[in-house]
Amino acid sequence: MKNIIKIAIRNLFRYTRRTLLTTTLISIGVILVIVFAGLGGSFKSAMIGIITDSMLADVQVHKSGYVETIDNIPLNIFLTENEMEVLQPKLDNNAKIEAYSPRIKFGAMISDYNQTSNIRLSGVYPEKEQATCPTLTDRFSGVSDPINFVKPGEIIIPDILVKGLNVEIGNDVVIVGTNRHGSVNGLSLKIVGVSEGVMGPQGKEGFIHIEDALNLLRMDETEISEVAIRLNRGEDVKIAYTELNQALSGEKSEDGSRIYEVHPWNKLTHFGSIANIVDLLIMMVRVILISIVLISVMNIMMMSVFERTSEIGTIAAIGTSPRKILSLFLAEGFFLGFISTLAGVIIGVGLLLFMQWQPVQFTFGPMENLVLIPDIPIKEVLATSGIVVLVSLFASWQPARKASKLEPVDALGHV
Amino acid sequence: MSLIKMENVTKIYHTGEISVTALQNINLEIDKGSFISFIGPSGSGKTTLLNLIGCLDKPTEGDIIVNDVKINLLDRKNGAKFRGDSLGFVFQNFNLVPVLTVYENVEYPLLMVKNVPVSERRTRVLDLLEKVNMLDQKNKYPNQISGGQKQRVAVARALVTNPSVVLADEPTANLDHKTALKVIDIMRQMKKELGTTFIFSTHDPKIVGNAEIVYTLEDGKIVNNKKGGE
Repeated sequence: MKNIIKIAIRNLFRYTRRTLLTTTLISIGVILVIVFAGLGGSFKSAMIGIITDSMLADVQVHKSGYVETIDNIPLNIFLTENEMEVLQPKLDNNAKIEAYSPRIKFGAMISDYNQTSNIRLSGVYPEKEQATCPTLTDRFSGVSDPINFVKPGEIIIPDILVKGLNVEIGNDVVIVGTNRHGSVNGLSLKIVGVSEGVMGPQGKEGFIHIEDALNLLRMDETEISEVAIRLNRGEDVKIAYTELNQALSGEKSEDGSRIYEVHPWNKLTHFGSIANIVDLLIMMVRVILISIVLISVMNIMMMSVFERTSEIGTIAAIGTSPRKILSLFLAEGFFLGFISTLAGVIIGVGLLLFMQWQPVQFTFGPMENLVLIPDIPIKEVLATSGIVVLVSLFASWQPARKASKLEPVDALGHV
Repeated sequence: MSLIKMENVTKIYHTGEISVTALQNINLEIDKGSFISFIGPSGSGKTTLLNLIGCLDKPTEGDIIVNDVKINLLDRKNGAKFRGDSLGFVFQNFNLVPVLTVYENVEYPLLMVKNVPVSERRTRVLDLLEKVNMLDQKNKYPNQISGGQKQRVAVARALVTNPSVVLADEPTANLDHKTALKVIDIMRQMKKELGTTFIFSTHDPKIVGNAEIVYTLEDGKIVNNKKGGE
């Protein structure tokens, strides 16, 4: 085997320029996959982190039919107190769940006594919300106590309204809301913080304490529009969603329809599709790499067999078995892929390390100055390396087989 | 007992609808330790004859027995094994492997064909390189040595496995006369020292004189055989 490897490597570098060109081409492909996967993966992780840790959490439970009309912020599709009493033990006893936060979401008017505008609001228990969306308060400015970021009588308004209404922290505003029966009510609140807008369905909302929401909407009992759930491990979304969905599927209303609906975060935001597109693009780059490797290795090996036909005839004539001739050419293809991969991985990982040292800043939707620190995707590096080496072997198979099948007498006569 | 026996051997090449008879009803016996030459004009069948004896090609009719093995019945795998065990080849264009050094070229059959242990390999390769007077060039690559030197290396490679027969197809065709004589001298010397049977084809009348028996081929038939020097 050692000798086959030695001869294969020497043969590979016999046509130095051709081998270097092919190696460079494959290496560039490997670099592209690694860098793209590193950047794309970290972009995806960063955005998912923002969305799940500061807005949606990992999974949400609503009353059936709520999500279908979520854009209208319906007031009549809430989970009742009884329904919450059924739900809460199931959440409390689920080992995969770290925290959950009941929310009342509604639309209202906001006025600083001079101007009036619209606002989307979340009524929350601040400590539960903080436990469920731990980076939510990172988006707030002016908030002194992140655990208890909004108290009754206080409001955190989105930054777009600060500019629109020309208000600032410490000002009083009036919130006017209509409940499900059409009754209008108003509440004076003090601005205690400003929330930075982020991309997503809840990225431009204001926050009030849930008690104020209950008062404003004149609710006799605590009804909830959504329960945001944080999991111990973000990767468990699919399993946790399935388990919770199954656990709640048996809860039916009198007409036999389901009471609860469960949604993982990616079904509640368009970023779920963007994440899928990022995955698809990484896959596309990988397919392009496979094509590059397949075509270039096959091409170089076919040329090699053609040019060395007489030499193949010689080694066959002196007794080299067809199997060994096959191994010689397969080894050549293997090392072509291996050397290219090694070079690509070193440069690709080097580039990612450089980008970790000098992070890339970018703007995404309303979010500015986002810092992209690429991961070193070990799985991706291993998968890419494995794919390139395997495809190289596959691409060399046909030329190697052709070489091993050559009749010595014909091969020796080849000019 | 003959080392090589050809019985009613005919070889016909088919190219489309055209058939060319390269060898016709050849009957031949060659004894062990002979130094044989085939001569004849181009197309007379010399190379075809050597290819058949060398188990590189199969006859259309007839049997070829080398070392008591009916080689026309061997499949590809066993044919390769037989060549590696019993035959050595010297080619007109030297056919050394360009990525291997002189030493490695001679070592190749022991390493890749016969799996001989390293110490024995080394002894045999160095011994043969010394015999063909190429020991001082052992670390050079084929493109760094002359044609005559390449052919000496090729002779050493052919002999390194201790074959019963060495087949040389026009081994001196690409060499000047002086170098050609040197190569033939080395082959004769090796035959004498190792007892190997040498069979070669040539055009060169001065080289022919070195053979013990000379067979003349014409139109695929042996028309004459005589002792060398006659």
